[in-house]
Amino acid sequence: MFQAPTRQILRASLTTRGANGASAFIPQCTKIVFEYCDNWSSSDKLRTYLAKHIKAVAESHPHVEFVVKQRPFKQPIARGFYVNGRTKEIGLKKLEITGIQQKIQLLLDSSGAKIKPLKRETIQSTSDAARGIWSGLHVEEPFRI
Amino acid sequence: MSRPRRAVLNVVKSLKHPAQPQLDRPRLFPPPEARTETKTAKAPVEQPSSSRTASALAPDGVFSPTVWASLQLPSPPTLTAFAHRVGLANVLTTPEAVQQIFTHPSFVPYFARYYPEEKTLASNAALSNIGNALLGLFAAEHLHATYPHLPTRVLKAAVSAFVGPTTCANVARSIGAPALLRWRRSHATLKQPAVMLDDALASVSRSLVAVLYRERSISAARAFVNSMFLSRELDLRNLIKFRDPKMALRATVEKFGREPPKSRLLKETGRLSNSPIFVVGIYSGLDKLGEGFGSSLKMAEYRAAEDALHRLYLTRQPPHLLQVPSSTFLASGLDIFRLPEEAEYVPGAIGETEVLYGSAGKSGVRAVSYRSQVPSEVQSEEHDKDGRLLI
Repeated sequence: MFQAPTRQILRASLTTRGANGASAFIPQCTKIVFEYCDNWSSSDKLRTYLAKHIKAVAESHPHVEFVVKQRPFKQPIARGFYVNGRTKEIGLKKLEITGIQQKIQLLLDSSGAKIKPLKRETIQSTSDAARGIWSGLHVEEPFRI
Repeated sequence: MSRPRRAVLNVVKSLKHPAQPQLDRPRLFPPPEARTETKTAKAPVEQPSSSRTASALAPDGVFSPTVWASLQLPSPPTLTAFAHRVGLANVLTTPEAVQQIFTHPSFVPYFARYYPEEKTLASNAALSNIGNALLGLFAAEHLHATYPHLPTRVLKAAVSAFVGPTTCANVARSIGAPALLRWRRSHATLKQPAVMLDDALASVSRSLVAVLYRERSISAARAFVNSMFLSRELDLRNLIKFRDPKMALRATVEKFGREPPKSRLLKETGRLSNSPIFVVGIYSGLDKLGEGFGSSLKMAEYRAAEDALHRLYLTRQPPHLLQVPSSTFLASGLDIFRLPEEAEYVPGAIGETEVLYGSAGKSGVRAVSYRSQVPSEVQSEEHDKDGRLLI
């Protein structure tokens, strides 16, 4: 009988795949940094947001660290840091307070992954098909030409 | 134009002097260590007398920002945010508790060398040790209870896969540990093994398990390990591989006292084309043990034998019926004179041992055994009707 060649398995290198949310969910956003300027008027709305609205957002998201940083003579931005090591930067130059709130919510909800078009490709999954995969050889009457 | 400007100025003024958030440690850059020891073209190199000196942070009289940055501990908001992220805000109540989890023992002497006046940092060495033992316990009993017939080597490999060093490091990465970890890389010496990033990260996830065990109970630690480690995906079929599955199946079937396996072609298509498909089933008498497909008859038979062996060794206890021995350990804080009302623990069935064939289990070394020394009348062996030895 054919003897298959075997490869040595190094036990310390074996690992498992994780699936965030299957049992425990780890929120992916770790830190949001606001960079504002005290001099330019483009940071007006952000300064108002920082004075009035940020405390409530920070209290309702205790898993995120909020950092307020001054960046003089530059446009205002919000930068989000994520568990996968990537960052997302959003310019807040022309936004009203509600616009800033929406962008901060976007940063909080994001996973940090690159934006990937989902409609183009077929779905790939590691779990088995829920309804099974049809096989033409496992039917009662196989198709005959 | 003037009115908006005045409003802007008012807002700017109010923001410039609002109630500042209280910072525990205002972070200045350049730090004091750099300012006193900064070398200029005109000033000569000075040897300051204070212990936090250039000789520690700047061996050549030049401040090193990378060394300084690697010595800075994470701020309390970062540590508190981590505690909330893993859902342990009620367990890790102080930033110091979180800091201990992220301080690898390699960092402690490095920090003390540059900041000798600061309190010695508490490292996660002991916690990591306890956590490692607990992880091994929970994984081994969970896997053995779930797959009772799994061969020993496969069980050991599966335990390594679920709670081994690589997985512990990956779990730490998935919770955002690399940003908070404080460690120091070192090569292997005669006394100590090398310290790499994976080792330092693995200590973080192990320490978390130990902290839960210490602060709460073994049940809480087990629930954490179940959700963070044992619910991860692993295909055990890749760990059960045979050089000759047909031979292994023949030996296994013989051990169970069944009819020898016979492979039968169930379905085929395209035999003379460039892509034939054969479906072969392996039977023991009337029972179908396994089924396999392939583009050749031999390959299909091979897969059928593998499938039969997988169906035996990967027999699985459903999760809702799973009971592990450590569930009988009492949680801390309970009165031992009044046991809680809980479901009785039913131990799982002892699995069939794996079949040893070929030279497996035989080292070829002749050892003097008890049986060879015992008088001959005791040596007569009794067999029951199935051919198994009666002890």
